[in-house]
This record gives sequence, structure tokens and C-alpha cells, in this order.
Amino acid sequence: MADSDISDNEPTTRTLLRRVLDTEAPRTPRRRQSTRAGVQRTPLGTPFSMRLRSQTKTTAGRQPHRARSIGRLAHIQTRGQLKEQTPRTLLENILLTAPESSMVMPESVVKPVPAPQVVQFSRRESSPGSLELQLPELNASTTLAPGRLTSGRRKKRLRLSEFQQGVDQGLPLSQGPVTEPPGNTGASSLSSSLNLTFATPLLPQSVQRPGLARRPPTRRAVDVGIFLQDLQDTSVATALPGDRTPVATLPTDTVLEDTQPFSQPLIGRSPSVHHSLPYPSLSAERTVSRRTRSSGPGLQNNSPGKPAQFLAGKAEEVDALAMGFPNTSSSTSGEDGLEPLLGGVGEEVEERMEESMSLSEVKEAAGAQASARAEEPEAHTEVAEAEGSWGAIEEKEPEGSSGDKDTEGRTARPELASSTPEFPRARQLEFLEPAPPTSTAVLSSEPLEPLSARLPTRVQTAGPRRRQDPYKMGLSHYAKLFSFYAKMPMEKKALEMVEKCLDKYFQRLCDDLDVFAAHAGRKTVRLEDLELLMRRQGLVTDRVSLHVLVEQHLPLEYRQLLIPCAFSGNTVFPAQ
Amino acid sequence: MAVAATISQRKRIKRKAPRGFLRRVFKRRKPHLRLEASCDLLVHLNCLLFIRRLAEEARTDACKNKCGIIKDQHVLAAAKVMLKKSRG
Repeated sequence: MADSDISDNEPTTRTLLRRVLDTEAPRTPRRRQSTRAGVQRTPLGTPFSMRLRSQTKTTAGRQPHRARSIGRLAHIQTRGQLKEQTPRTLLENILLTAPESSMVMPESVVKPVPAPQVVQFSRRESSPGSLELQLPELNASTTLAPGRLTSGRRKKRLRLSEFQQGVDQGLPLSQGPVTEPPGNTGASSLSSSLNLTFATPLLPQSVQRPGLARRPPTRRAVDVGIFLQDLQDTSVATALPGDRTPVATLPTDTVLEDTQPFSQPLIGRSPSVHHSLPYPSLSAERTVSRRTRSSGPGLQNNSPGKPAQFLAGKAEEVDALAMGFPNTSSSTSGEDGLEPLLGGVGEEVEERMEESMSLSEVKEAAGAQASARAEEPEAHTEVAEAEGSWGAIEEKEPEGSSGDKDTEGRTARPELASSTPEFPRARQLEFLEPAPPTSTAVLSSEPLEPLSARLPTRVQTAGPRRRQDPYKMGLSHYAKLFSFYAKMPMEKKALEMVEKCLDKYFQRLCDDLDVFAAHAGRKTVRLEDLELLMRRQGLVTDRVSLHVLVEQHLPLEYRQLLIPCAFSGNTVFPAQ
Repeated sequence: MAVAATISQRKRIKRKAPRGFLRRVFKRRKPHLRLEASCDLLVHLNCLLFIRRLAEEARTDACKNKCGIIKDQHVLAAAKVMLKKSRG
């Protein structure tokens, strides 16, 4: 390389790089540059800075550059790819391989020979010599859009070009670079670099390359109308657990209205029931319109498998309900009749599902009000028989059979009441609730009831059931701790036994505390009562104090509340 | 609150004390009594220790019978012993 290379008046990146390469003292004796008369010594920093600032411009010197670059390439090739990776070599490679097209004069510069990957250039700056990636043929890739703006742009564009090549060739990104370069690190870095580049897509390039759009949007836009309607519907229902999150508005919407009532299957969870009950709160037409509208996309979107596979058995009843409800305007009576049945059915499902059902039920409750009553009697019977089938179906593993049931459920169910779809979206699958509305009491109690369903008692025993559930839940919390401490597998019956023991223990505990407080003439149980109790139990001894136990077994936050500690300002918390 | 981090479990055991549950239970049983501010934490501590001892007992029972699984009769026998011990 003679200094004549740098004959351009305008400082292009290429020229700057060339200047750097030429002028810098070569590090190794094998440097080609050492042979050249690199007289000029420009500091290394300035060319870089200049490069960053400068814009590439077309220059008359392009042609000689190209010619020289070709010669250089040949020279490099003769040397093989074995020369060690240094920043100098990398820069050189960049210069050689980078297309010389400029922004002003876009042209397809052909890099005839495979050259070391320039992609690594940017990264190389940070970690020089780390990569040894070789670009695939860049012949076509160099026809990238406008020439490089800056060196940084150049690198990114090269990567994009490489990617574009890969896209054109239909190669997976990862494979493209992998095949070429020998080093795996290079491939990985290339792919990662590609990923990096796309993390920060250059706007003009992305505009010019629509093919680079990686993923089509997977979600459909929310139907505002349906959403608002659902909001209204849900506002009707009072106790609504707020943990429902609409997974996908459209899919569930379509699910409900579709022949595929179920939206995407729950992950790890048995399919959610999707509301079979249309939500006729507003109008039948609306539901019908929604159905028709969502049926199309729903089919496509929900093809992966409706969650409520095991609800295939309920298809019949669902159909009946679907037919009945949307057609009729409002039937409050029907909803009552259906409630228990459907609620029961839903409850069974809820064992597996969870609160998602409550939401759906609520919606259905609200929607059922509008549904017609006429269909109820038939729906009742159908629901009844569906329940039986449903119960049978529920025995099976929902996930396992979901696939089969899905298809048949999908076909069997025309459009279950997709009316209340959006809201119950919650856990992706609402389960198909043949019975639309459930009482609010049921709703509130449902989330608390993870145990077996009580079909008949759902509506009536709202009060006493409520008392039972949180108590059971609290006991089960301690039962889980028991199994944790035991470190051995346990039977279910053993856990129930543990819960009974805990119950007795709590009784005894309260009695003892009562006695202690009364003995001290107080009506409030204090900490010293507790300590006395533990002392009598043998937990607290002369050697082991209460504070030690607190420190050992309680988390820090509780310990701070229990053990008085001195703080700044001459304060003690908790105050004594 | 903190999750049991010492022993890796498939199921994370929460160390949170069900304070509301404890207060409610106490209130139901003894409506004429009042519970002080942090007393339910000590009650929770008591329960933890009780359950721990119960689990130990049940485990030794099961191992005595050369059983790999804790059965309810083991639990029952252990509970009898423990309730006798924690009579107070």
C-alpha cells in the first residue's frame, strides 16, 4: 500500500483506515505494512475520531481503491487466513472486504473473494482479536442500500447484508455464518452480532427492507367494543376476583363465539373453560355479530387447541345453551335454574382451573340475565347430562386428552356463548361454563374452594361454606409445612390427619391462652402469655430463650417486630 | 416475605405467617379475648415448632416401620405423643 492510496481529499472511513494501517508501525514482522513505506505517522486516535465524524463520500479515488483492494485481496489470500487476528488485520480485512459504495453513489461493489468477516469489526474494537469470523460471499450483499454513513453504520450494514444474504438464501441465520467460518465462536458471535444489530435496527434500512421483519404480530388488536361491553358486564357482577387477566382478547373472543370455544390451552393447566354462555347482556345481535366476526380469525388462532378439551362432553349442552341464550333476550329465571347446574359443572372444572372460573361465571351470570328462559328447560336437561359426561371427562387428565377433545370439542361446539369472552379470558382458557351465571356468593366462595366441587350446595350454603374454606386453607398451609419438614413422601390421608391434629392443637392453644390471660387478670393475650405457653410446652427452657427461637425460625421481618432492638435516636422498637 | 431458600424445593415454601388466618381463628374460638399486636407471630412460631416436632415424630415412626411413605397411622401416633407433650 502506498501512500498514494490516501489520495482522497475527503476523509472517508476507508481512507482513514487505510491511513491508519499504513502509518501505524506493524506489530509483527509478518505485517505487510512493514514492507510498505509507512512513513506517515498519524496517531491512532485521530483517524478513528475522524472516521466517526466523517461521512463517507464518493471520491474519485474509488476506482484506484478498488483496483488496489483487489490486489490486496489477492495478496491476503495468498497469505491465507492464518495470520493472527490483530486489530490491524481486522481493519485491513474490513477495508478490503467492505463495499466501497458510498452514500452518495450507491453502487454494487463486488468483493470477489470471501473475506474475513467484517461483522466483527465493531465488536472487535471492543475486544480486539477475539473473533475469527469469515463472511460468506458478500457479492450480493454489498449491494446494500446507500453507502455507509459511518464506520459504525458500515459494520451494521454489513451484518444486515449478511443477514439479507442468509434470508435470500433461505438459510437460517445461525447456519449462515456457521458454515462459513471455521470458528464456532465466530459463528456465535456473528449470530449474536446479528441479533445485536437487530436489537437496534437502523431505521432507514429497516424501512427499505421489509423482509427483515422477523415476526408477524401474533396478537390481534383488542376489540374495543367487545372490551367495553365486557367491562359493563363485569361491572354488573359484584365480587369479581381481579386476578383474571385477559390473555388474548381476540382468541378468547373467537373461542367463545366460534366453533372452537376454547382459546389457547393453558400451560400446565388443564384447559380453561371458555364461556359457552354467550353474553347476551347487550343484544343477541351483538353476540351473533361477534361470533361471525371472530369465527374467522378465531379458527385460525385457536387452532393450536382449545384448552377445554375435556369439555368435549359438554359440547351438546353447550350447543343447546349457545343456541338458547343468544337467541333469547333475557331470562333471569333461566339463569337461576341453570346456575346451580352450570355452577356445579363449572365447579368441577374449577378444581383444576382456579379462579378463572369465577370470572367466567360472573360474566355468565351477568350475561345470563339477558338470556332467554325458554331454552332453559332444555338446557337444563342437556346440562344435566352434560354434567355427567363432564364429570366423567374430568376424571381424565385434561392435558393428556386435551388434544383429542379439542378437535372434537371444537367441532362440536358451534359457538358457545362467546359473548362474555373477553372478560373471562383470564387464564387463557376459561372453561366452558354451560351454566352461565353463578351467584356472587358462589363466585366469591369459588376461588376459595380448591377442593372437590359441591354441585348442589353451591348456591345454598354460601355462608357456612365460607367459614370452612379459609380455615381449611390455613390448615393446609401448615400441612404443607409439615410435608416440608418431614422430608418424606406422604399420603393424602396423612395430610388430612395432620390437618385434624392442627385443628385440635389450635383449640388447645386458644384455651391455654385464655387460661393464662385470665390468670393474669387480663382480657388481652400478651406476649408473656405466649412465652409462658411455650415454656410449659418445653420449647423455651433456661438454655433456649424465646428470642433464640424467634431468631431461628422466623424471618427477619417478624423478628424485627418481636425482638426489641435499639435504634438511633435513643429509641427502641418495638416499644416496651 | 422470604421464600425458603435454604433447601431447594420444587414447591417453594413461603415463610409468611398467615396472620389473618390466625387472628380469625382465635377470634372465632374466643370472641371475648383480644390478641395483642404481634402475638399472632408468636402463635405462628408455636405452630411451626409444633409441626416441626410432629413431622420429626412422624418420620421416625415411619422409619421404624420401615415405610418409605408417611402414612396416616404414623401421623396419628406421632400426634398423640406430641399433643401430650405440648399440653401446656
